[in-house]
Amino acid sequence: MPDKMDWLKDEMSGVSKLTQFSTVMKFLKGKVSGPSDVVKCAMCPNMCRHACPISIVDGKETTSPAGKSRVGMMLENEVLRFNEENVFPLQMCLSCGCCENWCPFDFSVSDILRPQREESIKQGVDFKQFDEMFKALEMHGSVHGKVGKEKNYPEEGEVLYLRGCEFRENDQRVIDKTMQLFEKLDESAFVLPGEECCGIPAYNAGNTALFEELAKKMAKKINMSSAKKVVTSCPSCAYAYERLYPEFSQGLDVEVLHMVEYLEEKKRLLNLEKKGGSVTFHEPCKLVNGLGKKKSMRDVLENSGLSLKIPRRSGEKTFCCGYGGTTVSRLNEELSSSINEERLKELKGLSKNIVTACPSCKEAFQDNHGDVKVYDIAELFNRLL
Amino acid sequence: MIRGDFLSLNESKKKKRASKVDKVIKKLSDTLDGGRLSTQRADLLSYSHDYWPIYLHWMLEDRYPSVPDAVVWPESIEDVRDIVRWCYRGKVPIYPYGGGSGVLGGAVPEKGGIVVDLKRMRSLKLHKKDLLVEAESGLNGYYLEDYLNERGYTMGNIPQSLYPSTVGGWVGTKALGQFSTKYGGIEDMLKGIEVVVPPGKLIELKPHPRTATGPDLRKFFVGSEGTMGIITKGWFKIWPEPEKRIKLSYASNSLKDAVESIRRIMRRGAEPAVIRIYDEIETKRHFYEYDDIYGKVATVMIIEGDETLADAESKIVREEFVGKEKGEKPVDHWLETRFSIKEASEFVPMGVVFDTIEVAVGWSGAAKLYENVVGALKPIKGVLFASAHASHFYPQGICFYFTFAGTPPRKKDAEGFYQQAWEEAMKAVINSGGTVSHHHGVGRQRRRWMSEELEEGYELLKKIKQKVDKRGIMNPGDMGL
Repeated sequence: MPDKMDWLKDEMSGVSKLTQFSTVMKFLKGKVSGPSDVVKCAMCPNMCRHACPISIVDGKETTSPAGKSRVGMMLENEVLRFNEENVFPLQMCLSCGCCENWCPFDFSVSDILRPQREESIKQGVDFKQFDEMFKALEMHGSVHGKVGKEKNYPEEGEVLYLRGCEFRENDQRVIDKTMQLFEKLDESAFVLPGEECCGIPAYNAGNTALFEELAKKMAKKINMSSAKKVVTSCPSCAYAYERLYPEFSQGLDVEVLHMVEYLEEKKRLLNLEKKGGSVTFHEPCKLVNGLGKKKSMRDVLENSGLSLKIPRRSGEKTFCCGYGGTTVSRLNEELSSSINEERLKELKGLSKNIVTACPSCKEAFQDNHGDVKVYDIAELFNRLL
Repeated sequence: MIRGDFLSLNESKKKKRASKVDKVIKKLSDTLDGGRLSTQRADLLSYSHDYWPIYLHWMLEDRYPSVPDAVVWPESIEDVRDIVRWCYRGKVPIYPYGGGSGVLGGAVPEKGGIVVDLKRMRSLKLHKKDLLVEAESGLNGYYLEDYLNERGYTMGNIPQSLYPSTVGGWVGTKALGQFSTKYGGIEDMLKGIEVVVPPGKLIELKPHPRTATGPDLRKFFVGSEGTMGIITKGWFKIWPEPEKRIKLSYASNSLKDAVESIRRIMRRGAEPAVIRIYDEIETKRHFYEYDDIYGKVATVMIIEGDETLADAESKIVREEFVGKEKGEKPVDHWLETRFSIKEASEFVPMGVVFDTIEVAVGWSGAAKLYENVVGALKPIKGVLFASAHASHFYPQGICFYFTFAGTPPRKKDAEGFYQQAWEEAMKAVINSGGTVSHHHGVGRQRRRWMSEELEEGYELLKKIKQKVDKRGIMNPGDMGL
């Protein structure tokens, strides 16, 4: 079988030597590297625009996926200076990874623009909303600041349930229901005394130093616990523990599962009888794209015995709730809310009962609209079992 | 900022009218609150271009020769009317902007002024019984098609720019898609339209199955490229999703065999939705994984619709096609790769200048036009390859889609090389009896051939433009208007 570029080599062999095509020939032969990822992305007419929630709802070229890379390129080339105004478009990214599913280079815009976001922190670009968050993380180990009173749970066992900042601050009821579910599944579950943030909010905002500091602390605590397995309700935390910690040499000694992955393992026990009632579901982007679980949530829910209403945008076409990735909701709450409305409109058209598997998604849906009932997946199965 | 050579904007012109523009921007910023107007540098640079290939080279050289004064994001008809009203009063240019995927500089704000991005106007409504969909112009193309598919319908307009482009952009540029041989171009789908014209009037032409109320004003705005008004909504014909899809492919010994086969098939009334014939170079480029096709002329075809009709059409194809049948796999390969344009991202930063030129010609001139255009492009110093595929077909003729790429020879810059290639190709098309544009439109790149193509018709078009847009604010310079 001929090589992919043989046709071009054939055509070029007849071209006059006077032309300056040596670089191209060297590139074809793999002797010189091609352009950087940011430049490649900037040269694309936005072939992932339709999948980007920011782009669909905000509608701006500047915050479109390739548009952000073009701004990144302008910053690199000093056409634009690093300041709040110019860095702002780069921060309009939900880190949902939806772009990656449609990119011929498998780029995630969030990843390829990390160097520019890191550089902006180094150059002292100062978003006050980020400063507050960084301080809360540094002082209290939680994205929301000092954690309030919490219910007591076992502090030793086999399955370590990491509750995450969001549920600890805003929805401790779900923690309770999740612990009840573990009990029903005969697990010896426990929580981590002195649990802190996994660090991913700092990572998303470009503050890699703070992320590393938090990762070091949490990795040490988890590795010193009695855990044989870690389960978390937050897909971003799972992503941090599974993917980012090893990258930063803070790998965990135990297996980490997101709640959906855990329930997938327990599917046999969850095979419930058919009953009345319907639910629709919202697959968190970090679960689908970050952890690569394209169909897991749907598979688990198919065992719930409920009539499952499938959204148009599901699986790898899932659409962020608007509150992913830390930065958008802090710098542009109005945009987060509009994206949330767009998604909720789709889900509400299918059922008034929505199941999700991410604390931020749950919070966003139930905060913005009171006429739907939003369940965390563990909470739902606890109720059904 | 360095000014580009092809564009007429210059600093002195811009300075003279600066105070006027500032006044209009002030008025608009009072009306369009909540982040619907920006004069921030990152926004202005982001809207200084569309996907005109030569602009990619300028961007890589940090050249932005056409920066607007402001960008606005209307969210309602009233917003659009206010924008047109104020710009008309202040004589400030307006450039409607959709997905920015146009390849001829049609959305480039050449003379400064206000870019109007329509992407926040994106409502849609399905009229199942009348087989119509009503869509605001900023609606994303893929969003629309996906929405229809979920409900069992298709609009059948699948351009390669489906993912980034908008419905309004399709109408404005007279676009058409890969399935056009069955479903037609956007002009066949558009049944009703809503447009805001200077000095801010709303024209609504409701959808009817057909109407004989004078010249068809709906069609007047199709392909107007923002020079006559801002299209805000359209009503489009839709189809029930096809019951059956038949995928066929062939390897022929010559381009002539394949092209003549399609002529006979169309003459018998069969209309496969997709037909694409690749010349030898493009067959090697797109089907290198298929040893038995490599070096031949590949044709891929999709026939779809009602089962009885699709079966009958495939029978006609099999009776008429001269070539070896190669099954479904090459068609599946085409379906999987049809939206990939990664080569532009890889090669443009390496200094490669490229473009695609789509033209149409009657069957009698097809072979000559192909040979003349490829023959005109290949000898140009610096051209690495020139090739074509035939992508859209009619009982009367064919669209050829040429691609050229090269590196400028010594003493020639990217622009010089690029324009030489265009000159030679356009000359060859006109001399071969073809039309200079099939579906990309005119923009700023093709405007200098408008007069030659339309002759006295172009003078009439200019007069109409002067009447509709007395102050010349609507996308000035586009199509040479």
